[in-house]
Amino acid sequence: MPSPNIIKKVSGKTAPVLRSRISTRQFRFSKDGTEDGSSHDLQQWLKRKQSVWPTDNLNPFVDKEQVEEISLNLFVGDPQLPDNLVEFSFKERAFVPVIFHDQSLILLENEGTCLHIESQEAKELTAAVSSISTEVIEEKEPSDEIVETINESLKNCEEEESADEIDDDEIKDIKDEKDAIAKQSTLGKTKKLMNQFNFCERATITYSNFLKNTGTQTKPPIRMTFSNYATQWIIYDSYQENYEMQEREKEKGKREKSTVLIKKEDFQKKFVTDRNDVMNTNMIKKLLILERMINQNIFDDILQDFRYYEDPSDEFQNSTGTLLPLWKFQFQEIKKLSVTDIKWNPRYFDLFGVSFGTFDFQKQSSNGCFCLWSLKNPSYPDFVTYTQSGVMSLDFHISRPYLVVVGLHNGTVAVYDFRFNSKSPIYQSNHVDNKHCGIVWQVQWGEDLTDGEMIFYSVSSDGSVFNWILMQNYLSLTSIITLYNKPEPNSLLINEENNQLKDCGMCIALHPTDHLLFLIGTEEGYIYKCSTAYLATYLFTYEAHHMPVHRLDYNKYSPNIFASCSADWSIKIWEDNRKEPLFVFDTASSVADVKWAPYSSTVLAAVCFDCKTYVFDLNVDKYKAICVQTICSKKFNKLTKLAFNWKLPVIVVGDDKGISSVLKLSPNLRIKPRVTKKQQGVDLNELEIIKLEKLLSLIREPTEKSKSIIIQSSDSTSI
Amino acid sequence: MTEFLESKKDEENRKIIHTYALVKASDMNDEMKAETIETCVTACEKYSSNNEAAARMIKETMDKKFGTAWHTVVGESYGFEISYDSRSLLYMFFGGNTAVCTWKCS
Repeated sequence: MPSPNIIKKVSGKTAPVLRSRISTRQFRFSKDGTEDGSSHDLQQWLKRKQSVWPTDNLNPFVDKEQVEEISLNLFVGDPQLPDNLVEFSFKERAFVPVIFHDQSLILLENEGTCLHIESQEAKELTAAVSSISTEVIEEKEPSDEIVETINESLKNCEEEESADEIDDDEIKDIKDEKDAIAKQSTLGKTKKLMNQFNFCERATITYSNFLKNTGTQTKPPIRMTFSNYATQWIIYDSYQENYEMQEREKEKGKREKSTVLIKKEDFQKKFVTDRNDVMNTNMIKKLLILERMINQNIFDDILQDFRYYEDPSDEFQNSTGTLLPLWKFQFQEIKKLSVTDIKWNPRYFDLFGVSFGTFDFQKQSSNGCFCLWSLKNPSYPDFVTYTQSGVMSLDFHISRPYLVVVGLHNGTVAVYDFRFNSKSPIYQSNHVDNKHCGIVWQVQWGEDLTDGEMIFYSVSSDGSVFNWILMQNYLSLTSIITLYNKPEPNSLLINEENNQLKDCGMCIALHPTDHLLFLIGTEEGYIYKCSTAYLATYLFTYEAHHMPVHRLDYNKYSPNIFASCSADWSIKIWEDNRKEPLFVFDTASSVADVKWAPYSSTVLAAVCFDCKTYVFDLNVDKYKAICVQTICSKKFNKLTKLAFNWKLPVIVVGDDKGISSVLKLSPNLRIKPRVTKKQQGVDLNELEIIKLEKLLSLIREPTEKSKSIIIQSSDSTSI
Repeated sequence: MTEFLESKKDEENRKIIHTYALVKASDMNDEMKAETIETCVTACEKYSSNNEAAARMIKETMDKKFGTAWHTVVGESYGFEISYDSRSLLYMFFGGNTAVCTWKCS
């Protein structure tokens, strides 16, 4: 902007209005700050300038103040700028003044719309306006006066302009008037100038929606606190605990699956479920020990007898012996049941199992039970297991003494594992199709199969012999033989449509050396020698008894010799494949059980319903028992079962009131064979066999003779 | 024979060190729990000697998988008391000596 020299007049309250008609052109300065030719005009204008004061000014000091004028002058030139700078010019070899250019900058250039009234343009414009107005006057009479006045005023203006005294308002008024006149007079003739300041603002307000506030608050997520403490030992312990738990579960799973390949044979070990149980088992163990100690005190005299008492009368009696009653085992809760089977545990010589059921068909109780007793604790059984039906037989596995198989009155069989849980079976035969249709009279473990599976045999009064295999998780059943009633030997069992009567199996005896062979005693009194290899035929038939055969037992030393007993009051001793018995002993009552002694090849014991226990030693007396002893009251009781201990000189005798009595054999009943000079160094076992053979050779002769006589007679008759 | 027995006994007595993941406490649902265990195991295996890196990895993975605001502690011995959004806590042991606690709390 070409900044003009602004002259401000600082005055009192009522500042005079400076009205100037300045053409900005006149205030232009040259770039170098020097005034151009119009500076003279400016001087003139400044001189002409005069203040106009309002007439009603009452302030007496105004004038005085007004007189005092303070003027501030602004120049475009830089007063600081040195004007006498010189530099040495080598050309002229003298100092020359340095001329500064560009002392001013044009920041804004604005063309003004004001004209100096005395300028050429203004004059032309005025002339143009006046010419219009004259035309208007000519046309319109009524406005003549006004036009004249305008013209006059214009003239006045022109006159006054020289003095520059004319008020802007006046000029404006005049111009407005002139415009108005121009409008009125020359519509459309001249171009109407738009008043660009005359505008109106328009606006509308649209309907605005009401604002609403809605809010909702959700429930904050549930927050909980948790605290724990982790250290190395805590971590270790918890791993340990978890590992144990896993082991236990594994064990449990195994047990549930009934994997019976566990080699541990710790019979007493109990299944531990958790820490409390550990406490409990520890506690129970201690209590058991305590109980045994108390029992030892109570039954001290019996214990002394058991250990040391040998009947002194034996020495004087001629080879007859006695039985010394020791403990009586009775389980109070099953008083009404009778002892149906007794077996000693093959590993623990003081432990024996007793099964309880009833032989009376009409008085079947709805439950049965079997107990494991220890000689050390006669007051209460070590294990008690209840079953849904009467238990008729039980057997311990020889190499796995914790496994017990039982045959029930309702025809089913079950296997119990006493390591874990003596209460529920690990195997149980199906109640519908996987069972016998009659009472299971005897069960007996067989030799393990080649691939390790355990088997057992069962014989039932429905006439069938089953072979059960303990598979991974079920019992597999194979029918070995069906006992058809067939008196004629060597005829086929099957394909005999005219004879479908079945024999009722009562007892079974597996051959001790040949695993294929076994003997079956039937209710009809026959003894069948069978083989698992032949289903269709009996290998041999013994017409042994006239009444049910109660027990068959192989001699412990000679597998060719076996004993049988029957309800027809007789005990018979047989040799293999010989139709006639070697020995026949008559008792005055039905014989319930007969067993060979494990310590001698010639001793056997039997119990009868009339409460008598017979002990025979064939080596001593071939015709009568060397000991006959009444065990209990003849009126109420019947003896049912008997078992020799395999280590101690005792037998257990069970009766139908559920009492098992332990009896000690007197020295006469367990005579060892005398060792002659020749036989020195020979095994005891062989001595026993020699003893038996010697005896048998005495017996066989007459029978063979008689046999030949019979043959001869038959020959003669046939002739 | 006795030596053999003794050696056998020694073997029995020898401490077994378990390294599997053992969850001590968790209220997550099964699917989430399985995934979290997987995450923790991966991280602890990757940074077996650097618990901080393992914790960072677990935290970041969990943030990605189940939303933000997860916290993780990995260490061998420490105690803590935390508040957490329910069904988002897992406290487990891993490697026999490391305890990992991860939870969400926004």
